[in-house]
Amino acid sequence: MTTTETAPVIPLPARAATTLTGLGALATAASAALPWTWTSDFPGDLTYTGAPAGLQWLAIAAGVLTLVLLLATQGTPGLRWAAPTRSNNAVLLAATGALAVAAYSVTAITVELGGLANLEPGGWILAGGGLLTVLGALGLPLDRRTAVPVRILDKRLFLLLPAAPLGWYGAHAIPDDQPVAPVMTALSGALAIAAGAVLLLQLGHLANSWLRLGKADRPLPPPRRLPSWVEVLVIIAAFGAGLYAITFGIDTEYGELFTGYLLLAALVAAALTRSGLITRLRTLTVQHRPVTTGAAFAAAASFPFTQSSDQYTSVATNILIFATVALGLNIVVGLAGLLDLGYVAFLGVGAYAAALVSGSPASPIHVQFPFWAAMLTGAAVSMVFGVLIGAPTLRLRGDYLAIVTLGFGEIFRITMLNLNGTTGPKVTNGSNGIPRIPDLEILGFDLGKPHTVAGIELGRFSNYYLLMLLVTALVVLVFARVGNSRIGRAWVAIREDETAAEAMGINGFRLKLLAFALGACLAGLAGTVQAHVSYTVTPDQYTFADALPPNSAFLLAAVILGGMGTISGPLVGATLLFLIPKKLEFLSDYQLLAFGAALIVLMRVRPEGLIPNRRRQLEFHEAATPAPPTGEPTALTKAGA
Amino acid sequence: MHDLPQQLANGLILGALYGLVAIGYTMVYGIVQLINFAHGEIVMVGGFGALTAYLALPGGTTLWLALPLMLIAGILVSTLTAVAAERFAYRPLRNAPRLAPLITAIGLSIFLQQLVFSFYPDAKKARVFPKIPGDPFSLGSVTIQRSDLFLIIAAPLCMLALGWFVTRTRSGRAMQATSQDPDTAKLMGIDTDRIIVMAFAIGAAFAAVAAVAYGLRSGQVDFRMGFILGLKAFTAAVLGGIGNIYGAMLGGIALGLAEALATGYIQHLPGMHLFGGGAWKDVWAFVLLILVLLVRPQGLLGERVADRA
Amino acid sequence: MTTAAAPLLDVTGVTMRFGGLTAVNDVSLTVGEGEIIGLIGPNGAGKTTFFNCLTGLYVPTEGSVRYRGTLLPPKPHLVTQAGIARTFQNIRLFANMTVLENVLVGRHTRTREGVFSAILRGPGYHRAEREGREKAMELLAFTGLAEKADHLARNLPYGEQRKLEIARALASEPGLLLLDEPTAGMNPQETRAAEELVFAIRDKGVSILVIEHDMRFIFNLCDRTAVLVQGEKIVEGDRETVQTDERVITAYLGAPLEGTTPAVTETDQ
Repeated sequence: MTTTETAPVIPLPARAATTLTGLGALATAASAALPWTWTSDFPGDLTYTGAPAGLQWLAIAAGVLTLVLLLATQGTPGLRWAAPTRSNNAVLLAATGALAVAAYSVTAITVELGGLANLEPGGWILAGGGLLTVLGALGLPLDRRTAVPVRILDKRLFLLLPAAPLGWYGAHAIPDDQPVAPVMTALSGALAIAAGAVLLLQLGHLANSWLRLGKADRPLPPPRRLPSWVEVLVIIAAFGAGLYAITFGIDTEYGELFTGYLLLAALVAAALTRSGLITRLRTLTVQHRPVTTGAAFAAAASFPFTQSSDQYTSVATNILIFATVALGLNIVVGLAGLLDLGYVAFLGVGAYAAALVSGSPASPIHVQFPFWAAMLTGAAVSMVFGVLIGAPTLRLRGDYLAIVTLGFGEIFRITMLNLNGTTGPKVTNGSNGIPRIPDLEILGFDLGKPHTVAGIELGRFSNYYLLMLLVTALVVLVFARVGNSRIGRAWVAIREDETAAEAMGINGFRLKLLAFALGACLAGLAGTVQAHVSYTVTPDQYTFADALPPNSAFLLAAVILGGMGTISGPLVGATLLFLIPKKLEFLSDYQLLAFGAALIVLMRVRPEGLIPNRRRQLEFHEAATPAPPTGEPTALTKAGA
Repeated sequence: MHDLPQQLANGLILGALYGLVAIGYTMVYGIVQLINFAHGEIVMVGGFGALTAYLALPGGTTLWLALPLMLIAGILVSTLTAVAAERFAYRPLRNAPRLAPLITAIGLSIFLQQLVFSFYPDAKKARVFPKIPGDPFSLGSVTIQRSDLFLIIAAPLCMLALGWFVTRTRSGRAMQATSQDPDTAKLMGIDTDRIIVMAFAIGAAFAAVAAVAYGLRSGQVDFRMGFILGLKAFTAAVLGGIGNIYGAMLGGIALGLAEALATGYIQHLPGMHLFGGGAWKDVWAFVLLILVLLVRPQGLLGERVADRA
Repeated sequence: MTTAAAPLLDVTGVTMRFGGLTAVNDVSLTVGEGEIIGLIGPNGAGKTTFFNCLTGLYVPTEGSVRYRGTLLPPKPHLVTQAGIARTFQNIRLFANMTVLENVLVGRHTRTREGVFSAILRGPGYHRAEREGREKAMELLAFTGLAEKADHLARNLPYGEQRKLEIARALASEPGLLLLDEPTAGMNPQETRAAEELVFAIRDKGVSILVIEHDMRFIFNLCDRTAVLVQGEKIVEGDRETVQTDERVITAYLGAPLEGTTPAVTETDQ
């Protein structure tokens, strides 16, 4: 356990640091009123005076948030609610957000337009403001660890530093007409990247031992009791803000804005967590659970009403499909601890089943089930496959399941390819898939046609979005209710220690099979909707790893990135994993590479995911109940940290 | 059924290939209980290492001279990759929850594939690998491709060498001790870290041999070759009894034979005429795995392990 | 020795062989209603293996185990359902669950709510859940853990983890409780508290079979004690009988010239 102190990184007089931070934040926000660059070639057109656009809105958000948090930690009356912990680290995080937006915008403008000359005064003010904010915030009294020893990487790694230029020369010494020359160039490039990584990592360690930023135990003061209706309003406002933030992210039209958004969002989330605001909000939501659920659902359902075209509702629909399947997988992986590497196949089984009975002219079965029947068919067939795969393997050690499910995922794809009439019976049309799946009609309501609700036209994807949202809500309901019941507890017990669970009278095999079948069933359910949303089902949609979700690897990553065993974790993870490849298309060639590397790094750095599991929730729970001062709540808070 | 000997020969050769890869899974699993999911990709990088050596040699070098050099290069690349993976990706997670290293392994597998895909020149499609020139041999009714000679010679040699290493050398015995009980082995003064690295390295060397054999057989290597090969080899390791090196080879051969026979004969079974041929062989291999797990979960040569309370 | 008409637990001639090794050889033992029976023996005597044979973790090579006159099924969860609960020598709690949840898991066999019931949450579900929580809290109060119901099991101090394991086992409403070295690693005060707890459990009408190294603990506690040496039961009886038995003394202290002196209070792994 490291000890912490409260001290600035840069020794500045307290008043100077505060002023500097405040001025920097103001400058960052104000720079948005001026043009950042002279030409409209840079996406978003940042050339107007007094009319902020694109990245400039992010600068305003970052500046204002930093200012609010600064005033809150200074104890300004009326704003103290924004930072219950009074931690200046929250201010520093927000300031870093401002600097990140500033640095990214200035760099993007300079690189894309070719040179610093393309910056207008607004751009310079932005850069200066961002820098000033962080410098000022480093002068505030921060929670810091008292000592962080300097970590030096394995000395042998530093051999890469001289090796990289040597490799470069070596590669260039080979004549270009040699067949091996491009290989050598690639190798020397890899060497250079590795050397760069070593350098960055070492610099990171050095910076870490200089900054020594840490987290002190700052007990939250007991929340002020507000009238119940005010608390409800706060929850609704919070979900409104959340909807706005997510909508902003989904609606970003170009990669630059999305990158800036992502940077800022990550740092703002960290800042709000550190300020204690998130904890406060969690306490409120725990107290008003029905309102929270209702507000979350209403916020999600109002998304299509914020959209003027179907362009982004289709993205949102696919996010919902992906997130729902990830949540289903979380039952299997997060609750019961079973590693399923072929989960996407169950989505595929549901989708193919629905496609076959959809009345598509390409389906060899010329029937058209009503949607409810198709849904039940998809879910049931998927569940049957779940039992067929699970029954022989779930009696064995967990690792076997991983490999059998991986095999199943692959076999499913191969089988769908082969059932094409040439190499097998004609069922699925092989690689062409089953096209022209008709739109759904539910109770005379044609989901393929636009409808006008409350003066807003809802297009085809909006209809499917709302339908999918119902499925998502169902899966959330199942997860929440089953997870917190006799069955859910038995799953977690099996995950924790199967032998002990059996000794408590739990039939491990049966419960694991139940989890596996339920997971398969929910994925199949989502698949039935997916088949109709995408018009066509093809085998390629259901692979183990691919650049675009959903695929088994991404599903698993969504669960792990978000946080195993939680509801919000996979939803957040899936949203991120869907939006990042979608929005940053310039990354497309290296997406999977980055994805693979990210999985490795994530497991080393933060194996519990973005949204921490029960341990943290428990912390909130204990903070909410006024516990007697004796006892050992401190031991618990530390464990959660 | 007149082509039965031919199908058996095909199955044996294919099975030996699976077996060589399966050794890597089984050794690592036997010692650290980790499915080194990225082992298929270790095979793949070995193949590309060997290809690089071939490209670096002056044109017109005979394959008999090039082959040993390619083999050395492949083994070097595979082993280095595997040891680096162990050191930087797996070792820090040795006391982590069970799922963590498995996910790391998946990440590593995708990472290695994409590394080759993105940065190895022209690796977006399959790259041509040399074949041993000359007409196939005929032994009675059995025809054997010349390129398969490499595997026919290398596989038994590898097995003999491994058998000797494990039973006759100090390191080999230390390895067996570690796989029986790592804690006790540590108390007995065995450097378990070194043993684990060794298991990864030996597995990787065998993977490189398999990669060269694969390249010679199919005349190409590509960045995805490790996935199905790895899956099959793991199946083979499970079939033979995971943790048992002879079991891995036996499982590989059983799987290879089953695949060859399924490819050749399933379509002659009544009602199955549409499910035969090469298109379905992966499906039948998988069905075999499920059947074996149902009947004999510990595999052909495996021992039943009871959970200690 | 209480000779009830039909003993609660009746073990006859249980033998367990692993390959060539005979870990338990022809052991018979009975536990009557309301009895506390001790099982002692040096390290590696086969005590835990014997336990595992009773709880269905191992299927004995020979012999039979009867509980209330019926043959026990060879599956741990069925044994628990029949009415035998156990604790583990090296504590095996569900570390990331709360104390209360741990006990609720123990009640698994005594409740019937399934998936649909959990999703629909009808009145039956709420009643079962409420009853479960009440019973669990009673047990926590009984073991003195009620204050910590919402703590994570992993954060409890060692002694309380042992208590929680016992509370969890009691939650399955057993007729017989098997304790595997309940005082391992405890100091004398904690051991005394454990004694009190075991008596209190017996007073609730639960019979107890306990494995121990600590002779004093066993003799304070047990109505009868059986001694297991190298897989065989060499003697069974009250304190006097066991303490004066020469074979026991030899097994624990070693025959003068053989020089094998297994430590008495060490835990065997």
